[in-house]
Amino acid sequence: MVDFYPHTATSQQKKVCSMCFRVNSLETNYCYHCDSKVLVAHKRALQKTLAWLTTSIILYIPANFYPIMNTLYLGDRTESTIFGGVLTLWSHGSYPIAIIIFVASVMVPVVKIMALATLCYFAMDSKRVDYGNHHKILRMTELVGRWSMVDIYVVTVLVALIQMGNIMTINPGEASIAFAAMVVTTMIAAMSFDPKLIWQKIDSQSNGDPSVK
Amino acid sequence: MLKDTPIACHECDLILKLPLMTRDTKAACPRCGFVFTRYFVQAKSKLLAFSLSALIFFALSFYFPFLNFSAQGSVKSVTLLQSLMSLGSDTYLILVVFMLITTVIVPLLMLIGMIYVLISTYTQINLPQVKPILRGIFHLKPWNMTEIFLLGILVSMVKIQSLAQVQFGFSFYAFTLYVVSMALTRLYLDRYQCWNWIKDKQKVSLVAHG
Ligand SMILES: [Zn+2]
Ligand SMILES: [Zn+2]
Repeated sequence: MVDFYPHTATSQQKKVCSMCFRVNSLETNYCYHCDSKVLVAHKRALQKTLAWLTTSIILYIPANFYPIMNTLYLGDRTESTIFGGVLTLWSHGSYPIAIIIFVASVMVPVVKIMALATLCYFAMDSKRVDYGNHHKILRMTELVGRWSMVDIYVVTVLVALIQMGNIMTINPGEASIAFAAMVVTTMIAAMSFDPKLIWQKIDSQSNGDPSVK
Repeated sequence: MLKDTPIACHECDLILKLPLMTRDTKAACPRCGFVFTRYFVQAKSKLLAFSLSALIFFALSFYFPFLNFSAQGSVKSVTLLQSLMSLGSDTYLILVVFMLITTVIVPLLMLIGMIYVLISTYTQINLPQVKPILRGIFHLKPWNMTEIFLLGILVSMVKIQSLAQVQFGFSFYAFTLYVVSMALTRLYLDRYQCWNWIKDKQKVSLVAHG
């Protein structure tokens, strides 16, 4: 059983190290145990998250509308977008692969961006905090977000293999860089988001007394 | 001794104490459910075993043919390094650099760093820079995408089946085993547990002063 004290680090003039979880006093800059820089949850961190998130939303547009792969076969040039690739796979009967690519590169980024936007909104507007679920949203997005990268690897591996096999010419499209950058920026956005900002709002409403359900 | 170190929840800020763990258990925050640690008995030796085997399989996967192609009557085998090199001349160099960083450089740095930290904690020798290396390992962890890369290889194999006959070479299996060992290393790589192996500067000096 985990013992807990009925108060938060902030209410005790302390701050928690995000590297080793040890409790440091507010004045210290570097953790006494692991020497990491210890930061207090601050509104400014939210702007960083929002900036990364906005970048990823902007990148999402070229990532989906430009071709991710160009194929040159017997003089025929075909360009395929991410969604076009999924449709082609589906029509060829590769249903499991089509589903993997659709979930990883179309659904996951949208869900992740929406989840992060919701969390930022909760952190800004204290009245609308969803008490039950906001922390589950973050954990889920951190777990699945990385898998979006699979399509980039597929394109890169295909390009490498086809070149070696001398069968035809495949080149990565403009969207590939935008897509990779989008996944990276959403990952950074998720990492820079500090869930303490939401909990601080909840704590301030209950006068600094954390209620444990 | 370790039991008395108060920690706080990284997500919700609640101050708490973890009990002394003796068997494979998981400790989660009572308020928000954030998992502090997935404690494994003998995590040190498991980590050392899997990171060493990951390094060995990684080295092996560069040595043998990775894939064997047969298209239009000709058979060709490709090593992992050859396929990476063929991309080097491409205009989309940044994609190759990204792939190299997330699937070769980051995992390699993590493995070497992990072995260094483990040697230091095993032998009780105070090797220099253990703390910065351990911090680096945890900063690198999310950028290690080997298992996603393996899925990418499998998907592209399926896509390529219609164009050419592809057989996996010995290196492919070595690479698969490397990914599995890497995934297991990541599983046993627990923040709370790793930092408890590192001697507490303050505590040691407090004990020394009586
Ligand atoms: Zn620390
Ligand atoms: Zn918590």
